[in-house]
Amino acid sequence: MRRLADRWARTQEKSLEEDRLRSWHRTRTRRRVTVAAGALGLAMPWAGTVVSWHLAPSDTAMYWTIGLFIGYVVIVVPVYGALNIATRGTTSLAEDRLDERQVADRLRAYTIAHRTMLMLLVVLVVVVLGVEGDRGTFIPMAAIVTGVVALFSTHLALPVLVAGWRLPDPPPDDEDDLDDPDDLDER
Amino acid sequence: MPGDKETVYNRIAVLRAERGVSRRDLAQSLGVHYQTIGYLERGEYSPSLHLALRIAEFFEVPVEVVFSLAPFPRLGSTG
Repeated sequence: MRRLADRWARTQEKSLEEDRLRSWHRTRTRRRVTVAAGALGLAMPWAGTVVSWHLAPSDTAMYWTIGLFIGYVVIVVPVYGALNIATRGTTSLAEDRLDERQVADRLRAYTIAHRTMLMLLVVLVVVVLGVEGDRGTFIPMAAIVTGVVALFSTHLALPVLVAGWRLPDPPPDDEDDLDDPDDLDER
Repeated sequence: MPGDKETVYNRIAVLRAERGVSRRDLAQSLGVHYQTIGYLERGEYSPSLHLALRIAEFFEVPVEVVFSLAPFPRLGSTG
């Protein structure tokens, strides 16, 4: 079991060193645009919650919620992948696979994500308490489920978004890569 | 002290060039990511005491040859 876990960690590490979706994370500006796209994707399940709250149960609410959820998956999955590659797995690899700089970056990212999540929860509580109604007010189950999905997805994605936003441009690869004849052909 | 930028200057790039060691080789010997060496060289990351000592050990020089709180004199400059 341990060997399997080790093998999985090595595969994960190796795949994070491959520069896929490079145009999405090559420069700081591009990374920040990618983070903004990720934030937009994360807003979709929240929008689905609002739609379900006001319109569920209805076909309109169902179609909108499903559509927004598909939009969320289509945007967030590649964004999550690109930012994970950009940060070299700072927020996704096991801590023993990271060096001290990466661990420090991971802790900062988690701290900022934690504070952001806390603020989001405070806003959520204020909004929910501000809704007019009494003990008998009907809250659609669809809104609750979508809200929980939105909370989970935001909580999961925030650290990598923060790490991607903060990441400075990495130093250029050194002479090792210049020595590689394949690389020279591409230049 | 709050507000003070705790800059640690280093000569890793010079030592590396002098010994003909690549970033990846140095990183591998130290067990860190190769980008960490780049960030160290650019002064964007200050290492822990443990890593600093291991870097000095790798180059077989005292730690103060590699790291300093004051900028190192430029090569060829007097004083």
